[in-house]
Amino acid sequence: MLAAIAIGLWAGVVTVGTMNGMVDQRMNYLIENEITHLQIHHPEYRTERRPTDYIPNHPDILNFLSSDERVKAFAPRTLSDGMLQTPVKTAGVQIRGVDTETERTTTTFHENMTEGDWLDADMRNPVLLGENLARDHNMRIGNRIVLTFEDTSGDLTSAAFNVAGLFRSASTDYDQRTVFVRNNDLNDLLSEEPVYHEIAVMLHDIETAEAVSAELNERFGDIEALTWTQISPELSTIVELGGIMLFIVTGIIMLALAFGILNTMLMALFERMNEIAMLISIGMSRIRVFMMIVLESVILTVTGAAGGLLLAWLSIASLSERGVNFEMFAEGIAELGWDHIVYPVLSPNEYLAILTLVITIALLSSVWPAIKATRIRTS
Amino acid sequence: MENTIIQTFDLCKIYNPDAVPVHALREVNISVAEGEFTSIVGPSGSGKTTLLNMIGGLDKPTSGRVAIDGKNITGMKDSELIDFRLEHIGFVFQHYNLIPVFTALENVAFIMLLQKRTKKEMDERAKSLLEAVGLGERMDARPAKLSGGQQQRVAVARALASQPRFILADEPTANLDGDSAMNLLDIMEKMNREQNITFIFSTHDQRVIDRARRVITMVDGGIYSDE
Ligand SMILES: Nc1ncnc2c1ncn2[C@@H]1O[C@H](COP(=O)(O)OP(=O)(O)OP(=O)(O)O)[C@@H](O)[C@H]1O
Ligand SMILES: [Mg+2]
Repeated sequence: MLAAIAIGLWAGVVTVGTMNGMVDQRMNYLIENEITHLQIHHPEYRTERRPTDYIPNHPDILNFLSSDERVKAFAPRTLSDGMLQTPVKTAGVQIRGVDTETERTTTTFHENMTEGDWLDADMRNPVLLGENLARDHNMRIGNRIVLTFEDTSGDLTSAAFNVAGLFRSASTDYDQRTVFVRNNDLNDLLSEEPVYHEIAVMLHDIETAEAVSAELNERFGDIEALTWTQISPELSTIVELGGIMLFIVTGIIMLALAFGILNTMLMALFERMNEIAMLISIGMSRIRVFMMIVLESVILTVTGAAGGLLLAWLSIASLSERGVNFEMFAEGIAELGWDHIVYPVLSPNEYLAILTLVITIALLSSVWPAIKATRIRTS
Repeated sequence: MENTIIQTFDLCKIYNPDAVPVHALREVNISVAEGEFTSIVGPSGSGKTTLLNMIGGLDKPTSGRVAIDGKNITGMKDSELIDFRLEHIGFVFQHYNLIPVFTALENVAFIMLLQKRTKKEMDERAKSLLEAVGLGERMDARPAKLSGGQQQRVAVARALASQPRFILADEPTANLDGDSAMNLLDIMEKMNREQNITFIFSTHDQRVIDRARRVITMVDGGIYSDE
């Protein structure tokens, strides 16, 4: 029984840790790779996506961001929806014009490069394609593609870009429909003045996102600053769903534990009927019998739980370095944009919460056997 | 009779009163005085165990009552009765006398723990009692490591440890071989003689019966003879 509690709890806690890690990882990945802690847009950009919906007073905003202490880094982006043409075929893509330097310090997207260089390659109009998009179009590094899009005066422009590198993010879908260029190059084609449709901001502390975005909204008119939860409903859903899943999994583990304890204690009780009858006969009060059974289950459970938690802690400590490899599901997971190597995490508080829960369960599930014990007859 | 400890008044016990009634005791009237060494004998099913259970407050009579030191225990509440047993009655059962996970010493000390004696008293008394029953060398052994006779001797030591008014033993020798049984009787007799401990025990064993100073014979729930 001790072993069952230990192993059950170990498996459960590692599962919880893995799920926790998955959610954390996905969240951090999305935030660090692209979304960042908060973003600034023209109020209508997100719904209309017109080239003219750029951020009106961007120098002031950039100034403010570079002087605010809560801000760690920021990157202005020039965005455009357009067409990608290659000799093979045509595809609709989202063109992301990024600043080579600031993007690199703000997000980790440059780590997704699988071939070639980040946009600082010394060539004219470099473009980065997703690996699978390049494959579909039969494109290699050095090949030329044509991007066609609408400029700020409503005219269609086309320009040739040179494939400088290939990337693979966690999401194949994203890779399929996104290309990266330098914002200077894109700006030259888009308008007279440099325009930015998006400013991505990383903060030192994610908790301040709310406050910083509120201040931005108040200070600057005609913009919309949104926190990561507002930008990516996916992300808040993941976090919420993760919470619910955690709750359910924990619930199932605890339920199993409760049944385990109940079953064990009832069996133990059955075996010890004579002993307990003897104890009551010689004068052990029923309250003491009750306490004895409850105490026994708690000691039993806590011993098992301590073993299980220790085992879980060791496993998670080791797995959080090596990661759990879900390689066999890698393809499916990648399509969803999830990394197939998961690094489980569990905070000390969560361990403590689980231990408290286990003790509570032990107490509760021993009540019935304990009551039964006090009802054992002496004759 | 002087110094009467136990007295029963028209004690009746009927099992299964609704279905097939079994008259286990029929108006039993006995009294036991301090210092007795009394055996209850009779054929199987004659009501020996039932009588001892009534006297020990382990079960309630259908009618009649039991008085111990003049106190009517039949009217007591269950919880009162448990405390009463702890303080006034020593028990030696045929089997399942000991807690398997405890050593001999702990088994004897345990009852004093229930009585809330001091640690020192518990230790000293448990040791001296185990020595008195000839188990000075086996104090730290668990019951499984002890012979049946040794286990019963621990049980006697445990019963004595609570300093009861009397000790009830239902067939204490039934699981023992002849030598062990005689050895146990020797110890009980010695306690009775030297410390005036009152013993009431039931038995089938003629050699055990021979050791008793008073023999109450039961037949079919009634007292057949008392000598
Ligand atoms: N719990 C019970 N329910 C019903 N009948 C019982 C119960 N206990 C004892 N009896 C019956 O009461 C009668 C007296 O039983 P008791 O156990 O007192 O006899 P005994 O003299 O101790 O017998 P033995 O020598 O076999 O131990 C028997 O007929 C027995 O079957
Ligand atoms: Mg009997």
